[in-house]
Amino acid sequence: MNPRTLSRAVPGRYILPFLIGGLFASVSLGQTPGMPQSGSQSTRFDNDFNPAIGMVLDLAGTFVDAESSAADGFELSLRSTELSFSSWVDPTAWAYANVVFAKDEIALEEGAVHYVGFEGNTTLRAGRFFVDFGKQMQAHMHALRTFDRPAVLRAFLGSELGGDGMQYDSWTTAGEATIVRWSLGAFNSLVTESDAELPSESAFRPSLSELALTARLTGYADVSESSTLQIGASMRYLPDFEIHDEANDVKAIGLSNTVFGLDATWGWLDDTNTKGWTAGMEWLAMKGDMYGESLDLGGGNFAVTPINDSAMGYYVFVDRVMDKSNSAGVQFSSVELPQAGMPRLGEFDAYFTHKPTEFQRLRYGLTLSESEGQEEARLSVQYTLFLGPHAHGVQF
Amino acid sequence: MKTLLTCLLLLISFTSAHGATRVGKDKLNVVATVPDLAWFAEQIGGDRVTVTSLAKGTENLHSLSVRPRTIVTISKADVLLEMGLSLESTWLPELVLTARNRKINPGEPGRVICSSGWSALDVPTSLSREGGDVHPDGNPHFALSPLAGPTIARNVLTGLILNDPKGELVYQKRFDDLSRRLDKSARHWARYQALFAEATCCKKAVVYHMEFDYLLAFLGLETEIAIEPKPGVPPTPNHLAKVISAMRGESIPVILTAAWSKNKQVTMVATKTDAQVLELPTMVSGADWASDWFALIDGSLERIRIGYGLPELVEEPVLGEEPH
Repeated sequence: MNPRTLSRAVPGRYILPFLIGGLFASVSLGQTPGMPQSGSQSTRFDNDFNPAIGMVLDLAGTFVDAESSAADGFELSLRSTELSFSSWVDPTAWAYANVVFAKDEIALEEGAVHYVGFEGNTTLRAGRFFVDFGKQMQAHMHALRTFDRPAVLRAFLGSELGGDGMQYDSWTTAGEATIVRWSLGAFNSLVTESDAELPSESAFRPSLSELALTARLTGYADVSESSTLQIGASMRYLPDFEIHDEANDVKAIGLSNTVFGLDATWGWLDDTNTKGWTAGMEWLAMKGDMYGESLDLGGGNFAVTPINDSAMGYYVFVDRVMDKSNSAGVQFSSVELPQAGMPRLGEFDAYFTHKPTEFQRLRYGLTLSESEGQEEARLSVQYTLFLGPHAHGVQF
Repeated sequence: MKTLLTCLLLLISFTSAHGATRVGKDKLNVVATVPDLAWFAEQIGGDRVTVTSLAKGTENLHSLSVRPRTIVTISKADVLLEMGLSLESTWLPELVLTARNRKINPGEPGRVICSSGWSALDVPTSLSREGGDVHPDGNPHFALSPLAGPTIARNVLTGLILNDPKGELVYQKRFDDLSRRLDKSARHWARYQALFAEATCCKKAVVYHMEFDYLLAFLGLETEIAIEPKPGVPPTPNHLAKVISAMRGESIPVILTAAWSKNKQVTMVATKTDAQVLELPTMVSGADWASDWFALIDGSLERIRIGYGLPELVEEPVLGEEPH
């Protein structure tokens, strides 16, 4: 941060006490030397200035018809329970955290601070948060348009892709009706959700515990009185990772790969803002070391052979908003799976969403998928309810 | 990693140092959340302001769509006029946060709450979603009250003077002129009150949502029957049956609704009760005839009168916008 920025972020009248506070931090007000100081609120029995707290419950019932899948049959589950907290830290920064209970585990899905004290439209985000890649990866599972994330995103990036790191984000205007936004992110590690929904894989996948870089450039414009168009390009680069065969305790190191993405989303709404159409697509390509295969060298020795190749995939969708309570859509995704033989997975979704009120959502879905001659059909009913404050900000 | 982080910080510093700074402008850039407030700002601001409304008069304000030009407009605003009473609470805070315009952050002089000083109807006694999509500060659709003009105008005047003190004389003069026209209209609209007060047949109204409460309260009509069982909660068949039964018992001739409501259900109820569906705009420019706030109130009152079958006012012609 340059001095000019600091002086704007921290008003001058605060700088002297700030420095003095730093010098005499051990002599705190309201506390004896050596004892912990209060973090933000010195009174412990009232509730002022506490973060906004919200909760999301996401329940699902599915019936899967598959010849060779563990998911075959009926299942009723609480997919996730999300507890969220958000609050302003000071006039220049706000923070939030999402704690999620899913698959019998509790995890910190996101926990980050947004610093907005810069001049202009720059935001610096630090902590754990979802990577900025394309249109759909920013959304939590319960917030998606469909029951699952599109197959190509699950295959190349994961069902959810958060990371521990920081991200620079800014936007500018181009005329009166166009916004251009870009972001750069650097992550110590990525935290991906399991992609168990994909067909079983015989290969080892990259470890995401190494440095990862992301970038995104997108333009969002009004193209008529009632419609908008967004076009974007995204990248995730893993410059130096390893693939670990844990069973034989061997690894391939010094690997790298890149996922590129292009996306376009068009939306139209009528004058009442309650009826509309949305159509969109994302095309992704993965290039570099994609997966590893175990190689038996004989004599009890093994090695991991990294497979350097490229794969592509895409999804397209059309959604129709019929009124403020009902919408329906179809989506098709196709992807070359980054695993041995790189089989192609095709997935078709049809879904109908009904919102009884603003705080509940009921979704009926049919998913048909096919890979290497294996077909699967899934009927799903998803019920999601929102308690307390819940918002995703303006995402584009 | 260290090199990367250094590059990132350098980039941030560069952007910060070269952040957009607004060049001097001749006119105050006023952004209003709704066309009603934009109209008041134009009346009082005159040539000293440029005014933009974020919402169109036909839109459902409970869920305004985010468009690129919306963000651009907010980012350049000197003054943001909002209705308040949490009318815009589902979309305005996130838009302002995204637009990153410090002038219009909450509490800043550029943020003007136009409901300040207004006594809201329907203030909930307890805050629970059991009551539906309740607004904690009461019914926010107060701009549809014929009595709301002076409150809105006064708040707009205060906001403009606060942000452009040099224009105070101009704003005050135009405000005085508008106030005279509001007074004159108020006298005209009071005749509708008298008409409904005299008519023994017309004491109750049916609405889909509660957006017309102020307008109907002005006319002395009770709005205890709503097709929505609770605000924001669509009717169940059981509730619709109760509404139909209640309407038949009361012989209520009109159902008031907005364009974005579930009007198939409204039509069904109307058919079964021989009532008339009266779709009214909820904001200025929400209909061809509601081109300004006077016309919105005039036209709404007149259409309700006709819906209830009351005699025509015999006074002077309806007041429209006067030249100034």
